[in-house]
Amino acid sequence: MKKSIFLLLCSACFLFVQAQDNSYQQPSKAATAYREFRQKTTVPPYGLENVKKQIAAIKDKPGESGDEGISALTDAVYQSLSLREKFTYAMIHPEMYAQNCDINMIHPNEHKEIFGYLVSEGDEETWSSRQLDFLRSNRDSVMALIRESANRSRRMGVNYKNALVEMDAWEMIPYLIDFYTRDKKDKDLLTVLMLLMKRGKFIPFTRSASYKKLYGIDGNHETALEYNSANEALTIARARAFYKERKPAGAQ
Amino acid sequence: MKATGILLLFFFCYTGRWCQEYSFIKIPAGTYEIGLKGSVENPWRRITVKAFSISATELTNAEFERFVVATGYQTEAERFKDALVFEPGLEEFRWLDDSTAYWRYPNGITRGGITGKMNHPVTGISFTDALAYCKWAGVRLPTLEEWEIAARAGSATKYFKGVTAENISRYANIWQGRDHLQADSTDGFMYTAPVARFQPNPWGLYDVFGNVFEFCSGSLPRDKGRRVAHARGGSWWCSKNACNFFNAVDIGSVNPHASFSNLGFRVVKDAEGR
Repeated sequence: MKKSIFLLLCSACFLFVQAQDNSYQQPSKAATAYREFRQKTTVPPYGLENVKKQIAAIKDKPGESGDEGISALTDAVYQSLSLREKFTYAMIHPEMYAQNCDINMIHPNEHKEIFGYLVSEGDEETWSSRQLDFLRSNRDSVMALIRESANRSRRMGVNYKNALVEMDAWEMIPYLIDFYTRDKKDKDLLTVLMLLMKRGKFIPFTRSASYKKLYGIDGNHETALEYNSANEALTIARARAFYKERKPAGAQ
Repeated sequence: MKATGILLLFFFCYTGRWCQEYSFIKIPAGTYEIGLKGSVENPWRRITVKAFSISATELTNAEFERFVVATGYQTEAERFKDALVFEPGLEEFRWLDDSTAYWRYPNGITRGGITGKMNHPVTGISFTDALAYCKWAGVRLPTLEEWEIAARAGSATKYFKGVTAENISRYANIWQGRDHLQADSTDGFMYTAPVARFQPNPWGLYDVFGNVFEFCSGSLPRDKGRRVAHARGGSWWCSKNACNFFNAVDIGSVNPHASFSNLGFRVVKDAEGR
């Protein structure tokens, strides 16, 4: 009897694995809409007209036709941009080639999950070294611009969120928590909190079950936590603790 | 005398391997199942194709060199100095631009060239370069559908028969480290492996998963009208934790002018000739 149950269990497990390989559950409309929301970027308003004009004036590389290749502003033109314009340029014109190979299928309940990583923006380019250097070496100004722009548009595109992670913008944690709790729509803001804690190697987080699931040996860009009030509260509480630990003594 | 004979035999086998043209696997005309139920990008469907022949291996450095020697072709990476290379220590999905990199030095001059690696797949070339090769050689890239038919070899799952997520390293040169901060040569290779070093699929195609992402022709809805190159099968860079595209369902995208050290191709010819 015991043997039969064991065999039945094995068969069920096998069939489940096979089924996973053969198909996946169609996402709901809400899940599909939430994926689109996650992929949206924000176009900063700062010097936008001039930046667009400079991008349009970039000469294609010899042999290229039309807009196929990625072309960057020359050093001279790039250096002539103001700080705000450089920010806008980075946000709308990543200038290095990338491979898009983390385009994960939409999860059936994507709108009810907290992911370990931000979603791919969907295209085939990323920030170049000079653009990353700009973001990192002007992090205070860039954080201020992101706050200002997000307050104005009441949303934060995936490009802004990626910039915060790249800049290790732990100082933004209180703002991100406030921004998230306004409507609790953008659960990727919780993802940013976790990525900042991961980057900061915050021990209470790196030793947690959430960390193990998202970033452990089997974690990948598809792994997510269930979105529920307990996971939400825990993420926020840990992020607050991380901020408190990292903040210099006496700072506001 | 016996020893000389064996040595001679070995020599001919060895040189023959280096000189041989790619061998082709004929895929009969017919109706095949591809895609995955529920997938938006690659939905399950039956498609009917004409017979075609696909190379058993990825195109090697030796084969690409013959093209370059015959035509004087300069790849885009050589002209624009914009190839992307990898070295351990980079965060996930980050690559370095290296103006010295091109197909003879796929990861830049400081990281070594292809000497002794002529039987490795050619990399550091763009989709545009692959098309130029095909035009010269009288072959073409597989379509997205043809590649999948050949890679699946009749399997209904995202792997060909015999492969699972657990044993895939017998069939595929992939990254087995948790991340790319440390070098990983668990399977003997950090970058590319010689073609046909790992076990083939049931139809005799080698390295359909791993080694290099393989350029295919065709477009997807997500391209939104842009000209985008697609590549399939994953590469030596891909791990289960990042870019786990070493399967017959997922499809990667890249700019047609981008040259990476994990992008290559295999070729196809129509069954009745070109």
